[in-house]
Amino acid sequence: MPLLETRGVTVRFGGNTAVDDVSIGVEEGAVTGLIGPNGAGKTTLFNTITGLQRPASGTVLLDGADITRLAPARRAHLGMARTFQRLELFLSLSVRDNIRVAGDILRANTRRRIDVDEETDRVMERTGLTDIAHLEMSDVPTGRARVVEVARALMTSPRVLLLDEPASGQTEQETEAFARLLSGLADEGLAVCLVEHDLPLVMRLCSTVHVLDYGAVIASGTPKEIQESPEVIAAYIGTEEVTA
Amino acid sequence: MTTFLTFTILGLVLGSVYAIAASGLVLTYNTSGIFNFAHGAQAMLGTFLYWQLTYGWGLPMWLSLIIVVGLVGPAMGAALHTLIMKGLRDTADVTKIVVTVAILLGMVYLSQWIWHPEDARIMEMFFGASAKIELLGVVIRAHEIICLVVAAAIAVGLRLLFTRSRVGVVMRATVDDPDLLRLAGHNPDRVAMLSWAMGSTLAVLAGVLITPIGGGALEANQLTLLVIDAFAAAMFGRLRSIPRTFAGAIVLGMTATYVMAYFPTDWTWTGNFRVSLPMIILFVVLIVLPQDRLRVAAVRTRERYRVPSVRSAATWGGVFVAVVFLLSLLMEDSSITTFTLGMTFAIIALSLTVLTGYAGELNLAPLSFGAVATIVAFHFGVAGTGLAAHLSLWGVLLAVLVTAVVGGVVALPALRLRGLYLALATMAFGVFLSNMVLRDTTEHTLFGVTFSLFPNGTLIVPPLKVGPLDLRDPLTFLLTAAVLFALIAVGLVALRNSGYGRRLAAMKDSPAAAAMLGQNLVRLKFGVFMLSAAIAGLGGVLMAGASGSVAGDNFTIMASLGLVMLTVVGGIGYVSGALFGGLMAGVGFVIIIGTFNDLAMADPAMGTVYTSIGQLAMVATALIGMGVGKNPSGTVHDLVGSYRALRNAKPVLVGGAAAEAVLYVLALTGVIGNWWFAILTACLGMMLPVLGRMLMPAAVLGAEEAARRRSTPLELAGVEEPYTEELRRRLDRELGLPAGAAPATPRRTGFPLAAEEGDVHAVA
Ligand SMILES: Nc1ncnc2c1ncn2[C@@H]1O[C@H](COP(=O)(O)OP(=O)(O)OP(=O)(O)O)[C@@H](O)[C@H]1O
Ligand SMILES: [Mg+2]
Repeated sequence: MPLLETRGVTVRFGGNTAVDDVSIGVEEGAVTGLIGPNGAGKTTLFNTITGLQRPASGTVLLDGADITRLAPARRAHLGMARTFQRLELFLSLSVRDNIRVAGDILRANTRRRIDVDEETDRVMERTGLTDIAHLEMSDVPTGRARVVEVARALMTSPRVLLLDEPASGQTEQETEAFARLLSGLADEGLAVCLVEHDLPLVMRLCSTVHVLDYGAVIASGTPKEIQESPEVIAAYIGTEEVTA
Repeated sequence: MTTFLTFTILGLVLGSVYAIAASGLVLTYNTSGIFNFAHGAQAMLGTFLYWQLTYGWGLPMWLSLIIVVGLVGPAMGAALHTLIMKGLRDTADVTKIVVTVAILLGMVYLSQWIWHPEDARIMEMFFGASAKIELLGVVIRAHEIICLVVAAAIAVGLRLLFTRSRVGVVMRATVDDPDLLRLAGHNPDRVAMLSWAMGSTLAVLAGVLITPIGGGALEANQLTLLVIDAFAAAMFGRLRSIPRTFAGAIVLGMTATYVMAYFPTDWTWTGNFRVSLPMIILFVVLIVLPQDRLRVAAVRTRERYRVPSVRSAATWGGVFVAVVFLLSLLMEDSSITTFTLGMTFAIIALSLTVLTGYAGELNLAPLSFGAVATIVAFHFGVAGTGLAAHLSLWGVLLAVLVTAVVGGVVALPALRLRGLYLALATMAFGVFLSNMVLRDTTEHTLFGVTFSLFPNGTLIVPPLKVGPLDLRDPLTFLLTAAVLFALIAVGLVALRNSGYGRRLAAMKDSPAAAAMLGQNLVRLKFGVFMLSAAIAGLGGVLMAGASGSVAGDNFTIMASLGLVMLTVVGGIGYVSGALFGGLMAGVGFVIIIGTFNDLAMADPAMGTVYTSIGQLAMVATALIGMGVGKNPSGTVHDLVGSYRALRNAKPVLVGGAAAEAVLYVLALTGVIGNWWFAILTACLGMMLPVLGRMLMPAAVLGAEEAARRRSTPLELAGVEEPYTEELRRRLDRELGLPAGAAPATPRRTGFPLAAEEGDVHAVA
C-alpha cells in the first residue's frame, strides 16, 4: 500500500476543472514522478494533498488514514512536507534561520524534542548549504534557494516529501548534486513525489511516473512505459521532448 | 403598526445610504486590493465642501451637487490612485492599510484646519423637511425617497456594469492577475483609476445624503467613521459581493432604527448601543465567517528590517537611559512630565513593534487597550487616599493581565481570517470602547452592583508607588519610564532573536509555508496579540499616571490611528521606530501646536500665520504617512543604515560625539537655549552621515563603492573610461556572469563594451 494516496480527487475553479478524478499513490523508499504540460494541474494537486486547497470531491489518505479535511499544519505533524513552485521562503530570515525555524516550529507545535541547532547543522551539511548559511535570502540565487526550501522541509523529518519543480533555475552542477540528494533520501525510506519539467531528471530518478493532462491522469507507469505511451507523446507534441 | 412602518422606512433609508457607501468601498477594494480606510474621510471632505458651496457661498443646490459629486468626487479618487495607490504594489498589507489611515488623518486635519471644528454647521434635507408624502399613515420625506431611489439606481447600475460591460468584467479580474490583463491588452492601471474615481464618488454621495438624516449636524469625526458602517455592511459579502453588501447595509440600517424605536429610552445605554451597532454586527459576522484559505505565492514585499543582536540592543538601551538622564538635567519639571508622557506613548508603541513589525498583524486601536488597563487600574489598583493615593504594583499587574485577556477576546474572532480583518476588528473595538465604555459615566445598577465604568468622564489615576520607588516625583517617573522602555525594547529584540521570534517572522513572510511546516497560525497570532495588548496596557496605565487624569478624549480612535501611523513612519520593525512614533504621537503634536500658538500669542499681527503653520505641521505628518508607500521600511531604517555605514569612519563619529558634547555643555550652562540645543542636535544627527561620505568616502562607502561612485555608469563603461581588467570583473559581477566566463582578452567586435584593454576613450 502506498504511504500517500489520492482517490478520485477533483478540484474546480469556477467552471474550470483543474484536477479531474485523480487517483495516484506515492510509495515509501522511491521517487514518484508527476509530469504534465503547463497548467495540467500538478501544483493544484499538491495544494490539495497538503490542505491548502479543498477538493470538490475525492479523498487524500496518508498511511491509510483519511486526511482530506485536516488543516495543513496537522498534515505536517503527520509527516508531510513540501516545497513551492513559486518560492515561499522567509525573506526576513537568513538562510540558516530559514531552515532552523522549521525546527523551532516542530518543537513548539509537537511533542518532538529535537536539538534544533544540531539538526540544522546536519541538514545544511547534507544539502550542501553550509557555505551560504549566513547570507540574506534575497542574495541567494534561485537554484540554491530551491535547495533551501528542500532543506527546510527536511528539518521536519518528513515521511512524504512533495517537490514542486525543485530543479528549475538550477545550474547543471546543482541539478547533479540535487539528484544525488534525492536518490539518497529515497534510499533511506522517504516517499518522494517529484513534479518537474526536466524530463531526463524525472526519467532517471523515478520508479513510477504519472502524467497529468488537463487535470486528468493520462498515463502511469515506469519511465520506459511512459516514454513509449502514445497518449503522452500526443500530449507533449510541440511542447517538449519526451525521450530523454 | 404605523410606528413599525415608519421605523421600517427609516431603516431602509439609512440602510440604502450605508449601501451606497459600502458598495464604493467594495469596488475599490476589489479592483485595487487596497482597503480604503479613508473612505469615510473622503465622504467627510466632500460633504464639508458641499456645505461650503451651498450654505457658505450660497450656490444653488444643483450646482453644488454637480461640482461635488460630479467633479470633486471622481477627481479625488483619480488623484488618490495616481499619486498614492498606484505606488503600493508589492508592499505588505500593513503598509497599504497605514497609507490609507494616513490619508484619513490628513483629511481630518485638513478639514479641521479649514472648517473650525467648534463652529456648528447644519445641513438640511433636499427640498426641505416639509416636502413629504403620506402613505398608509406613514410620512416619507422627499429626501428619504431620493436616498432610496439613488441606492436602487446604483445597485442596478453596478450590476449592469459588472455583468454587461467589458470594463466591468475587466474590473473584476484586475486584482487577481494584473499581469495577465496587461498581456491581454488591457490597462489595469486605468481600470483601477476608474474604480477609485467611482468609489470616491459613491463615498461623497453617501456623505451628502446621510448628514441630513442623522439630524443635519455636520461633524468631521462622525462622518469619517462612516467607513465603519460601510465595512460592517461589506462584511456580509466578505468584502467581495456587492449584492450581499447591499443586503448587509439594509440589515444594519433597519436594526439601528429598531433599536432606537423599541429599546427603553430611559436606559442610558440605548443611544450608545445604537452607535455601536455596526461594531457588534461586525464581530458577529466575523465569528460566523468561514476560515480563509491560505494563499500561496504571496507578493514579494519591499519592507526590510535588520535585526540587531541582543548585546547591541542592550548596549543601546543603556545609552538611551543615560541620554534621557542627561536631557532631564536640561529640563524644568513641566517639560519632564511632558517628556514622560511621550515615553509612556513609546511603550504603547512597542506593542505595535512586536505585533506588526515582528508578526505582521495590525492593531489599529492600541490606545483603547491602554484605556482598558487604565479603567482596571482605576477601579482596583489605587491604594491610599488624598495625597497618599498611589497605584499599587498589584493593581498595575492586574490591569495588564486583564488587558491581555481582553485583547485575546477581541482578536480571537478575526484570527482565522486575513490580517485585514484583524485590523478592522481592532478599529471597531476602539470605536466601540469610546462609545460604550468611555461614555459610561453615570452610575447604574446591574445584577445588584451599583457602578459606572468611567465615573464622571474623568479618571484621576495617581502614579505608581512600589516600596521605595515613588513615581510621584517627576524625575523618578521619567527615568522609570525610560528604563521600562529600554527593558521591554531589549526584551523584544531578544524575543525576535529566539525561536519564537523566528516563528513570528516565518508567519509574517509566508503563512502558507509556516503552516506547511506545522505551525498553528491561530495559536501563534493569539499569543502575540495578547502579549502586544499587555504591553499597550502597561503603557496605558503609565500614561494615565503621567497625565494625572484622563478622559475619554485621551483614547479616541483618531489618536490611536495617529500613533500607529507615526510608528510605521518611524520604522515598525524597530524598537527605535516605536520611540520615534510614541514621542511624536504623545507629545510631538502637542509641542508643535503649542509652540506655534505661543508664537501667535506673542505676535498677534502674525497670529493667523503661525496658527496655520501649526495646523500645516499636522497635515504634513499625514503626508509623511502617505509617503510610507515609497519608503515602507521607515525613517529609522534609513538613519540606521546611514550610521551603519559610518562604523569604519571612526574620526567622523568621534568628531560628531565631541560636537554633541559641546552643545550639551553649552545648553547645560545656559549659553544656548533648549530649543537651539534640540535644533542643532537634529542638524548634527542628520548631517553626520553626509559629512562622513564627503570626508572619508573610502571608509564609509567601502573602497569599491567609492570607486564606482566616482566612475561612469555601467552602460558607458569602456566608452567614457578605459576598459581595464578591473572593469571587466565589475561587468561580470553586475551581469551575474560566473568569474572567468568571458575570455581573458576580449574579442574585437567593434562594440564599445568589448573594446580592448587599455584602449583609452574608445568613443563609439
Ligand atoms: N487559484 C486559482 N484560481 C483559478 N484557477 C486556478 C487557480 N490555480 C490554478 N488555476 C488553474 O488551474 C489549472 C491548473 O493549474 P496548476 O498551477 O495546478 O498547473 P501546473 O500543472 O502546476 O502548471 P505549471 O507546470 O505551469 O506549474 C490552470 O488552468 C490554472 O489556470
Ligand atoms: Mg505548477
